[in-house]
Amino acid sequence: MAKQTYDVIVIGTGAGGGMAIKTLCEAGLKVCALNAGQRLNPEKDFRYHRMPWEMKFRGLDDPKYRDESFGYMDNEYTKEAWDHEIPFTVAPGTKWMWPRCKAVGGKTNFWGRSSARFSDIDFRAASLDGYDVDWPVTYAEIDPFYTRVEKMIGVASTVQNRPSNPDGTYLPPFKFRCLDFILESGCNKLGIPYLPDRCAQLTQPHEGHPACHFCGECTTGCDVGAFFSTPYFLLPKAEATKNLELRTNALAKDILVDENGQATGVAYIDRNTRQEFEVYGRAVVVAASCIESSRIMLNSKSRHWPDGIANSSGQLGRNLCDHLYGESAHGYLPQLIGQPSFPDHVGDSTIAWMPRWQNLKDPHEEDFIRGYAIYPDGGCEEFPGFATDLDGFGSSFKREVKRRYPAPVSFGIQAPTLRSDKNYMDLDPKVKDPFGIPVARMHFEWDENTLKMWEHSKKVCAEVLRAAGGELEGSGDAPEIPGWSLHETGTCRMGNDPKKFVTNRFGQTHDVANLYVCDASVFLNCTDKTTTISILAFSLRTSEHLIENFRRGNHKTA
Amino acid sequence: MLQVLGTAAIAAQFPGFSKWGFACGHIGKALQIKPAQYQPQFFTAAEYTAVERLSEIIIPTDATPGAKEAGVAEFIDFMVASDPGLQYPFRTGLTWLNAHAERVHGKRFIDLPAEQQLSLLEPLGFKDKAQPGEEYGRKFFSLIKEWTVIGFYTSEIGFKELDNPALKLYAESPECPHKNDREHQHLTPVIS
Repeated sequence: MAKQTYDVIVIGTGAGGGMAIKTLCEAGLKVCALNAGQRLNPEKDFRYHRMPWEMKFRGLDDPKYRDESFGYMDNEYTKEAWDHEIPFTVAPGTKWMWPRCKAVGGKTNFWGRSSARFSDIDFRAASLDGYDVDWPVTYAEIDPFYTRVEKMIGVASTVQNRPSNPDGTYLPPFKFRCLDFILESGCNKLGIPYLPDRCAQLTQPHEGHPACHFCGECTTGCDVGAFFSTPYFLLPKAEATKNLELRTNALAKDILVDENGQATGVAYIDRNTRQEFEVYGRAVVVAASCIESSRIMLNSKSRHWPDGIANSSGQLGRNLCDHLYGESAHGYLPQLIGQPSFPDHVGDSTIAWMPRWQNLKDPHEEDFIRGYAIYPDGGCEEFPGFATDLDGFGSSFKREVKRRYPAPVSFGIQAPTLRSDKNYMDLDPKVKDPFGIPVARMHFEWDENTLKMWEHSKKVCAEVLRAAGGELEGSGDAPEIPGWSLHETGTCRMGNDPKKFVTNRFGQTHDVANLYVCDASVFLNCTDKTTTISILAFSLRTSEHLIENFRRGNHKTA
Repeated sequence: MLQVLGTAAIAAQFPGFSKWGFACGHIGKALQIKPAQYQPQFFTAAEYTAVERLSEIIIPTDATPGAKEAGVAEFIDFMVASDPGLQYPFRTGLTWLNAHAERVHGKRFIDLPAEQQLSLLEPLGFKDKAQPGEEYGRKFFSLIKEWTVIGFYTSEIGFKELDNPALKLYAESPECPHKNDREHQHLTPVIS
């Protein structure tokens, strides 16, 4: 059989890969996409409005699989979507959680949907506070890409004129619930913003996608595609061009190179048959998610690239950043005790936010630099998790659960780590996965600055709750373990200096001109915002840069 | 059943929701629970009777159905049978409770009259009635309380108890209905 060569091989079909696949296919390039798992069928593989009592383990999953799980997102409804075969290791002293969605679309199938733009306060943070280096891009450059992404995916919010959070083009916001108005009044007293979140969930029909039906089951997969995910929003567009070949259950092993060290394709292993295949392309896009992309590149060793492809800087895998998550405070709003139940959970945690309010006028207002955001939530959840903490038993207990059902509230922090030499991933020299590929080894600890934010947030959220007339019950003893946020960034950072950065300002690797990176690994740090909308915007920009390189003849079409 | 119909009726208003007929169809397919015929998978017959009794004391049948109607003991037996990590604390906890009952009243827990069962459990379940030396019993009581809560509030009966909004769909983003009292200072509780 003649050797087939595609224009571009894309590894990964999540936010970064999905955007690259769609953009490249629509530009007429022939794309072969590799995805580590299978394609999901929403009716069968998503929750699809099944109630807990219809599930064998009430949605909790079979306890015998608990040790095999790599994250809290695994549950009985979406189990098949998550990777349980590929392990990773941690260096002594490191704790790390790394849930990986192997299904086509990756974590976009189940993501949290909060979609704030990065801004110059993020891109120029180093100039402002002197820590680390600036991003090699400006907000003015990225702004149009955000606008195009928002039009593609639909984001519900309002224009807020916040210094750290540039406004975009929005669908009508989620309406405030009772608890939002009460907490807003507390925030107003303290001069802290309490606003509708930027939520990529369709409050009205958008670009051919139906509006949300507010069932609140978003993180177990939307059965109608009323929030952005690549299988609903991007892959059908790519498939319509007939320029896409999608290979599923294809585990990328390494990137193949020619005699000049340039990329010629990808070797992968079929997850089911365990056979190895090679697929050839004129350019390769790595978009397997931050740590996995770096793992593939570090595993791509050759005569030219003894330390991993495009790693002449030695920075591949370094500079890992993550969001600290944790419960800064929780308690009850007595105003709502005894009220009828209310559909508080329809947005599944992203209705309101307290966007960064620290270090805005002066980068050194606080005893930490940069800033964090808070996601408040509460009210009538599907399961009354507060009930086991209530004292007593019997009819009085049962009545108290019902009385308090609308009243619990909690505050979740999202705080960025600073770049550090201590935080990185490399390959475990001893451990290989069941397919014979060396596994990722994590080295990570929370930095002092981030832990100061955590302490600060506990004080502030307690004050907000009290100012709102609430009863404070407590706060999380410790933050969640690293990796929990799924917002890992920075192992393949972009920058102008090839000695210090893996890719250039367009996500094209300095060393290998036909190798591009389209995920959060190119980000210099994780900022106080969520990652997905920025992955989409940067991937769109990188993909168009790649297309331009084909037009100019820098890469020849196959 | 009202909630199921409500779900279907709202879904039917959405254009392009042809799949919803199917989606709503399986909402009602709850397993029929027949406690009288249940064969415990993990607990002995005597242990199972105690688990039934404890769950029914924790969430009793009063004006509304309780743990008994929701089949909570079956659920606990099934989960303990499935989870080796739960088997030791449940078995030793039940053993402690029987030994405690024998010590105080000279009979196994399930053989005691209801008032004596309650008087044994109150120090375990109410913080202000806690007795020194009963730490193990309190730990076991919070374990069985936790699993009773999970079993009850993940059942259809538990959803109805709370009028759980998760069964319904909405044509638009639900909004706080208290337009004239955004700080919610003047609401009258309807559940006392």
